[in-house]
Amino acid sequence: MCLMTKKTLSLPLVFYLFFNVSAFAQNTQIKGFIDVLGTYDDSVSFGLGEQDLFITSELSDRLSFLGESVFKFSPSSSTQFSVSIERVVIKYNIQGNHNLILGKIHSPLNYWNDTYHHGRVFFPTIGRPLLFNAEIIPLHTSGISIQGHDLGKAKFGYDVVVGNGLGSSDIVDNDKRKSVILAMHIKPADRLRFGISFYNDAIAKGATIHDKINKWKVKQNLYSASASYFGKKFELLAEGTLASNHTDTTGSKNTLASYAYVGYKANKNVVPYIRVDNLHYQNGEVYFRKDNTTSVAGGLRYEINYLAVVKLEYQYQNSEHAPNTNKVTAQFAIGF
Amino acid sequence: MIKSYIAGNINKLLLLLAILCAGPASMAQVSALTVISNAKGTPETLRFSELKSIFMGEQQRWRNGTKITLALMKTNTDVGKVTSFKVYGMSGDELNKFWLALVFQGKAAAPIFFNSVSELENFVAHNPGAIGITDQLAANTDIKTIMVEGRKIL
Repeated sequence: MCLMTKKTLSLPLVFYLFFNVSAFAQNTQIKGFIDVLGTYDDSVSFGLGEQDLFITSELSDRLSFLGESVFKFSPSSSTQFSVSIERVVIKYNIQGNHNLILGKIHSPLNYWNDTYHHGRVFFPTIGRPLLFNAEIIPLHTSGISIQGHDLGKAKFGYDVVVGNGLGSSDIVDNDKRKSVILAMHIKPADRLRFGISFYNDAIAKGATIHDKINKWKVKQNLYSASASYFGKKFELLAEGTLASNHTDTTGSKNTLASYAYVGYKANKNVVPYIRVDNLHYQNGEVYFRKDNTTSVAGGLRYEINYLAVVKLEYQYQNSEHAPNTNKVTAQFAIGF
Repeated sequence: MIKSYIAGNINKLLLLLAILCAGPASMAQVSALTVISNAKGTPETLRFSELKSIFMGEQQRWRNGTKITLALMKTNTDVGKVTSFKVYGMSGDELNKFWLALVFQGKAAAPIFFNSVSELENFVAHNPGAIGITDQLAANTDIKTIMVEGRKIL
């Protein structure tokens, strides 16, 4: 019955989409990014970052595809490298600036995740903010979404996403519950953007997540806000997420993860910058790995051109459960 | 005879005059830009804010639903450099980065970049909904010059 309903709903859409592809000159492009690193903490070491390939293809007047695959170091692999599909975006333009998106997307919860993806050449700093490493927000969502952008004078944009949710794989949901993302932003002036988002999910008991088995059913709400300004002289990006994880045993426990980045364009190539990150977990948190952390990173970004960027960065990190670290990292990131 | 020649070529003469008046250009040999489009399905006039919105990928369809296809001169050409500065308020490198980022985000389809004005004109002429920026007024019936803020020259 359920299968019949799915077929009934999807067949007309499939017919419409594919028979509407009339005498269209397909335009497919392949581009990529990679970075190499040198790090000094107590010794010097060199390493490869991720090799990111992304493909875009215009399939018809209204239908397009974007795929992003990453090759990265994986010690458990026999070749020491693994391939992951980071995005599969099949986009259908409904009308004007409103699109229907099917596939796997970067969850549009904040500016960084929705903008930089795996392209290190775009990152204003060497690495992602701590709230990504601490897995506070779900980086990806597999599902369906409606997206709009640049609407009206305020250049309003929105995303409504329904996905498999945390604990699921990219091919099947592990429970009946779906994750929901509601996000909106405005761009009231050139280079200025404000955004807010809400994420709701229930993570099943027994689901494997963050490399461990979830011992409780967790009801999660994420409230995020961001402000960004990348002007001709100054760059500012500040984002925060308040995560509320509820279990029947512990009740609701809140985690606040935030960071602020400031850069100054000394000239067209050189940008000194600083980023401060903070993770604060409430006592009794059982879903995240509780580890209150503060980090300060200062660096210099030298943009050779839009396809080649060198960064040199010092980072100090103070964590609840690990010794303080001081690290100097150099990165050469390119697009090709 | 002379009067009729002037009347028939007034737009070209005005463009020539604008280029001559600019004198030795510091950034490039081009100072006047024109916006051309496919003759079908595109408007006759635009405000500059609308033009910028279109070329920033913020408006991706014309009012009749036709997809907008952007045609630009490569940013290492004189016309491309002036376009980057006048329309985008960016350097050529910033413009390339802007579009690479927008395409990577899946927010828009990239403009088609050309080495020569004739290639750009030919593309615009053969693609309904296409709009491009050159330093020459529309020279055939398949393309038209769009007035921006009531003027044919940016």
